[in-house]
Amino acid sequence: MAAPTMKERQACWGARDEYWKCLDEHMEDASQCRKLRSSFESSCPQQWIKYFDKRRDYLKFKEKFEAGQFQPSKSTANS
Amino acid sequence: MLLRAPSRAWPRLSQLRTGGSQVQCARPRPFSRQRPAEPGGQGQPRGPGLRTRLLVTGLLGAGLGGAWLALRAEKQQRQQQRRTEALRQAAVGQGDFHLLDHHGRARCKADFRGQWVLVYFGFTHCPDICPDELEKLVQVVRRLEAEPGLPAVQPVFITVDPERDDVSAMARYVQDFHPRLLGLTGSAEQVAQVSRSYRVYYSAGPKDEDQDYIVDHSIAIYLLSPDGLFTDYYGRGRSAEQIADSVRRHMATFRSI
Repeated sequence: MAAPTMKERQACWGARDEYWKCLDEHMEDASQCRKLRSSFESSCPQQWIKYFDKRRDYLKFKEKFEAGQFQPSKSTANS
Repeated sequence: MLLRAPSRAWPRLSQLRTGGSQVQCARPRPFSRQRPAEPGGQGQPRGPGLRTRLLVTGLLGAGLGGAWLALRAEKQQRQQQRRTEALRQAAVGQGDFHLLDHHGRARCKADFRGQWVLVYFGFTHCPDICPDELEKLVQVVRRLEAEPGLPAVQPVFITVDPERDDVSAMARYVQDFHPRLLGLTGSAEQVAQVSRSYRVYYSAGPKDEDQDYIVDHSIAIYLLSPDGLFTDYYGRGRSAEQIADSVRRHMATFRSI
C-alpha cells in the first residue's frame, strides 16, 4: 500500500480538524458529529484514524493537565 | 601661592566626600572645624599624587582589560577546539553509512563532505509528525538559501521503515517537500546501522488487516558539518527560525579540520 500523497494527507488532516472542532463544540459528544466522523474515516487510512484518536485523547489530557484541572486521585478512582 | 591655591581646593573636596557619607548628620560641627586645619599641611604632597595615581590606575585598568579580552578570545578559541574535538569523538554519527538515494544511487557519508547537511529520520506512512518536521526542515533550508553568501545546506530524509520505503516510495515522497530533499533508504540492516549510529530509536507497531502499521521513532533534526561531524540536533520544540539561527551561528564559527 502506497503512502498517502501530500494532497491525500491534507484532505485527511482537514477532515480530522473538522471532526475535532465538532467534538470541541459539542463537549466531546461523538453522537453529534457522526457525519464528520465518517468523512474523517473515509479521508484517512485506518491506522491514522486510530493514531489520531489516541492523539486527541493525549492532547485533551495535556490541555487539562496544563490548566491544572487534572486530579490524579479522582481519575485513577474512575478508571 | 599658586601651588597652594589648588591644594587647598582639593582637601575641601575630599572633606566633602568623606563627610557626606559618614559624619554630616551625626556630628557635623566638630568635624568641619577640625578638618580645614589638618589637611592644609598634608594636602600638598597628596595633591599631585592623585593625578599620578589616576594615571597609574587607568593604565593598569586598561592593561588588565586588554589582558582579559585577549584571554577571553583565547579561551573561546580553545573552547571551539575542544568542542570540535569532543564532536569528533562523540558517540553520535560515528562511522560510515551505506544507503540508496531516491534515484537508486549508492550513497555513503563521504558523499556529503564539504556540505552542511540537515538530516531527519522518519517514514513515508507517518501520519503527522514526519511531514511537519520535514516541512520545518525544508523551511530552514529555504530561509538559508535566501541569504546570499551562506553555503548551501543539503536536506536529507532517512527512512526507519525499510520494509515499505523502497527507492520509488522515497522518490514519490520527497518530491512533495523540496526539489533538493534527498531520500535515503536501504536494507533493514543498513537502516538499523545508520539509526544506531545517530541514536535513533524506532519500532514498528502491529499490522492491521491492510498490512498497514505505524512506526514509533525518535524525533530530531541533526546538523552535520562539512567535515561530516554531528554538530547539533533540534527537537520538536524548535521552530524553523530558531534552527536557521543556530545553523547560521555554526556556519560563522566553523573551521574545517
